[in-house]
Amino acid sequence: MNPMIASFLVLAGLTSASALAMAWTKNLLHAALSMFMCMLGLAGLYVMAYADVMAVAHLLIYVGGVLILILFGIMLTQNPRSQDYEAPNDLWTRQSGRFWSLSISLSIFLGLLWILNRSMDSFSLASDDIQRSSKLTHLGLALLTEYSFAFELAGVFLLIALVGATYIAKHHE
Amino acid sequence: MNDIPLSYFLIVSALLFSVGLSIMLLKRNMIFILMGIELMLNAANLNLIAFSRQDDQMQGLAFSVFVLVIGVCEMTIALAIILQIYRQFKHIDLGAEKSRF
Repeated sequence: MNPMIASFLVLAGLTSASALAMAWTKNLLHAALSMFMCMLGLAGLYVMAYADVMAVAHLLIYVGGVLILILFGIMLTQNPRSQDYEAPNDLWTRQSGRFWSLSISLSIFLGLLWILNRSMDSFSLASDDIQRSSKLTHLGLALLTEYSFAFELAGVFLLIALVGATYIAKHHE
Repeated sequence: MNDIPLSYFLIVSALLFSVGLSIMLLKRNMIFILMGIELMLNAANLNLIAFSRQDDQMQGLAFSVFVLVIGVCEMTIALAIILQIYRQFKHIDLGAEKSRF
């Protein structure tokens, strides 16, 4: 087994194990912690797919931004039940019955595997050679030339979402 | 060569998608459901990046940047709405009145 495959298997195991832990646990803070591990493993998988720019952007945005946002959301939506500051951080949440959700998602997973297994030898990609170089220069050039309109639109969209989120979240008397 | 086959990425992203779907169906806390939606978005992103490995135009990589931006926008707006729902109803438990299953 060569080292690329071995490190891919380690990263994929980290990602899927923490995703399954997210589905298993009922504690909201444990789920946020396993989402952190899942995002770390996913960034490693992006590096394995030779997309180093996306790995760095993913780490910055998800670990640095979205996870902090989720933690603030958890803190702002909890009932301050006890004033006991030495209590453990247990935020138990309720869940529906396991049967329907597990059977639906398991059947979708097995269906996807069946489709992949059937179609793996029949479809063909445009080129078989894999680009192993860093994608930073190409992606920057493409964002500022070919996709410049969509790039500006994404910036305006981010601004609108930011202003809208602060407006929605404020106290309306 | 030392490259990882494409099907490995596809299997991992199928697993991530179905786990995100099961979180969405299983949990009743709204923040939990948002985390499941983020997991499904990231599964789609992993597929795009794995396919754009063999594309010298890198269209999938450019599209995944925009998927990332849309995901972040959705997250901020949804958390603001959840905050207002908490102020209105004092809980964020979906289906707190009656469970159907």
